[in-house]
Amino acid sequence: MMNSPRKKFHSYFKWQTLLIIITLFFLLISALPNLYTDKVKIELLPNSSSVQQITITKLKNLFDKHNLSVNEIHTGNENTSIVLNNKTDKMAVSTLLNQTLKDDYRLESSLISDMPAWLSSLNAKPIKLGLDLSGGVLFVLDVDTEQALFDRLKDIALEVKTIAMDNRIRGVNVIQHKLPENITDIKQNLLVNYPLSATGKIDVLFSELKKTYPDLTQQKTDTTQVTLTFSSQKAVQFRQETMKQTLKTMRGRIEELGITEAVTLQQGKNNIRIELPGVHDPEEAKRIIGATATLDFYQLAENSKAAGILRMADENGRKLNLNSKVVFSGSNIKNARAGQDQMSMPLVNLTLDAVGGKKMSQFSKRNVGKSMVTVFSEFYRNAENKMIKKSKIINVATIQQHLGSQFSITNMSSQQAAQELSLLLRAGSLTAPVTIVKQRTIEATLGVDNINNGIKALSVGISITLIFMIFWYRSLGIIANVALALNLVSLLGLMSLLPGAVLTLPGIAGLVLTVGMAVDTNVLIFERIKEELKRGHKVLQAIERGYKSAFSTILDANITTMITGIILYSIGNGPVKGFALILCLGILTSMFTGVFVSKILTNLAIKKNKTQLLGVKA
Amino acid sequence: MNQIKINTNVNLTSFRVASFYCAVLFVVIALFGLFNKNLELGLDFTGGYLTEFTTEKSVSQKQMNELLTSYLPENFKLTSADEGTHWSVQQADNESSLKGKEWLADFAIDSQLIITPQDAIYIGSQVGEELINQGGLALLTAIIVILLYLSLRFEWRLAAGAVIALFHDVLIVLGLFAWFGISFDLTILASLLAIIGYSLNDSIIVGDKIREIMKSGNEEKIDKVINQAIKSTLVRTMITSGTTLATIIAIWGFAGESLAGFSIALFTGVLVGTFSSVAISATVPQLLGLTADYYNKKQEELCTLP
Repeated sequence: MMNSPRKKFHSYFKWQTLLIIITLFFLLISALPNLYTDKVKIELLPNSSSVQQITITKLKNLFDKHNLSVNEIHTGNENTSIVLNNKTDKMAVSTLLNQTLKDDYRLESSLISDMPAWLSSLNAKPIKLGLDLSGGVLFVLDVDTEQALFDRLKDIALEVKTIAMDNRIRGVNVIQHKLPENITDIKQNLLVNYPLSATGKIDVLFSELKKTYPDLTQQKTDTTQVTLTFSSQKAVQFRQETMKQTLKTMRGRIEELGITEAVTLQQGKNNIRIELPGVHDPEEAKRIIGATATLDFYQLAENSKAAGILRMADENGRKLNLNSKVVFSGSNIKNARAGQDQMSMPLVNLTLDAVGGKKMSQFSKRNVGKSMVTVFSEFYRNAENKMIKKSKIINVATIQQHLGSQFSITNMSSQQAAQELSLLLRAGSLTAPVTIVKQRTIEATLGVDNINNGIKALSVGISITLIFMIFWYRSLGIIANVALALNLVSLLGLMSLLPGAVLTLPGIAGLVLTVGMAVDTNVLIFERIKEELKRGHKVLQAIERGYKSAFSTILDANITTMITGIILYSIGNGPVKGFALILCLGILTSMFTGVFVSKILTNLAIKKNKTQLLGVKA
Repeated sequence: MNQIKINTNVNLTSFRVASFYCAVLFVVIALFGLFNKNLELGLDFTGGYLTEFTTEKSVSQKQMNELLTSYLPENFKLTSADEGTHWSVQQADNESSLKGKEWLADFAIDSQLIITPQDAIYIGSQVGEELINQGGLALLTAIIVILLYLSLRFEWRLAAGAVIALFHDVLIVLGLFAWFGISFDLTILASLLAIIGYSLNDSIIVGDKIREIMKSGNEEKIDKVINQAIKSTLVRTMITSGTTLATIIAIWGFAGESLAGFSIALFTGVLVGTFSSVAISATVPQLLGLTADYYNKKQEELCTLP
């Protein structure tokens, strides 16, 4: 009988221990980059080849004279690079260099990490720090709600024409004035003209219009003319809703970029302020945020005489006539994922919302065998700062069957194109064009002092815990402390691995709190062991039983908290999301180190039956 | 070591029941505060007024913070950009806050800085309406799932105890913030999350012990079972709460202003969480009519089935 637990113990020790050690090692390596800091590197690039190279001693003397400390100065064949000790000196050094060197050199600054080469070759990265700890990039976006209203009226104009056609009212003409440049707050309207002969039937049109667009004001301005406008109150409401929608879309896009701790808010009437933490490459963020891509699905027009024909050329220059009424637009897309078909050609799988699904179902049922065209549109500002909409046909497909809310866009040019399109579609399409009007690097909102104080507080807190554990549990306390330290390292490693994890000051506090709560795991186990000893079990047996029976309690408590964490992570946003992530990761690592690692440590430390453990005689 | 003696069972039971009514009273006071005084929502929730300006010379954030603190009547949030030359000040949108750009001229004289006003504009909240609704939905979902999971693993009365304790803890922290008018921002919301985790943890560990004693069948009276469970988990509860509270006090003392609200929320949360694990999550099942032989009965029922 004595043999069997021993055997078990032996095999447990072999491969499971190995697995745990490998995991620990892996997390340790992942946590390593956090030890190194980023440094500012300023490069001096000569403006012309005739400029004489500046010597290192000359630069050194210059910096010494102005009491600026630099880490190293390095001269290459053409350029000179300077690495600063303090990030905060960047401004002073730049001004000084600009003054001294005048027009001979251009300055280019970048951030470099002082990680050893082997570590950076592993592509290991430190944890991203939040806006409060390391600043980030600020974007201010301008939302062109006027253009959105214009587009809305344009849709209505088409609707008017369609209704007129359906009711066989001839000669109806809709005029929409172009948006004047640089004038805001104009009253946009549609002028509907009709011949005298249609007076009898025209009421049908307007009553039907009233039904579809109850917000639209109809005013008879002439015997044969009706002006359609949104009352100023409705127009304001429309603008507010557009802003709200854009804000929501922007939050979605930032989330798609994998940034949890961003700040997104409305600024003034037409602007959106976005602060992104830890973005070192603003261009990438800019591309996704600033992209105002929308996807519209059109039917290929059967004859070119129908109302509102859209003429567009596809990639091969073939002219296509589109029925200008959109079947459904990008705002109906619920989900989009890049994928591959059986021939491993890239495609984008789309899932539509209820409204889009219904539209698609109705449309495809009536049009099996006909073609549907996918048009990708993007807004951008040209050299004269005028908003321009660029549309291109990305796909023409024949409707093979009655489609529902799920279908795919095939014939994507590359896997990357499919990825990018799906990301944009997932993040939501914008009804109003947006442009980035401001971009600025912002500094940490908490000063260096605050951060140092925070770290001091955490060290004190952890120290108290560690000292107490040793005092209370003696030798097992040391094991608990080692497990705690490993827990902290594992958590840091795990957070460095996840691109979405961002550390803020409250995040650090949360981190320490999870460590504090990780003590709980060990306390539970040790109290169990004590209980088992009191019941008269031998030390080794008590340890074995203690770990085993405490485990189910620990599991129950942690799973429940994990459920909360996961739900709040998937639905919450901003700091709540970030905190929920730390909480969940903390639970995982504390279970890992508190139960498995400390078990191994206990087995290593106590190999024989002792006479006494935890102050209880066995 | 750890010879914490609790008097007789009778005393502990009456103590528990008394604590339970105390807890009910606390919740009523907290609710009263929440409905009467309302939570003072921070800039994250309310939005506010943003003033932007540039200074000619680079100024450190600490210095600017001090200058503005002595000048502005209310709390504000400061962001700097472009190496300490571009500043954004966010204030609450109310009567006492300084709006427009006019005050900047005065401030420039006051602080002896050369200031160029940039923008003065209203800004919206960081938390959209849809996110508040979603957040509420998330909490509701979480609570239902927890109830289900605990009912499955334990017994519905123990599960109800844990969830009621959870409500108690969160409500009391919210009530405290309402009564003392401490600004409630997103950071505090995040700390509520930690409190939820902590509260559940405490309740489950007591509940787990209750189940264990019930299953062993040594005790016949439910209040004895519960008392024994509390006694045997007391050391653990004290150590965990103690070390966690010590950490929070350290954060409170050293990290200063920026984490004060956060520490207050956590401190209260852990304190009431520990209290409620005894007063509520262990007592509610008893009040709901849990009997000591529940698990044995269940086993008998199972056995009689063919």
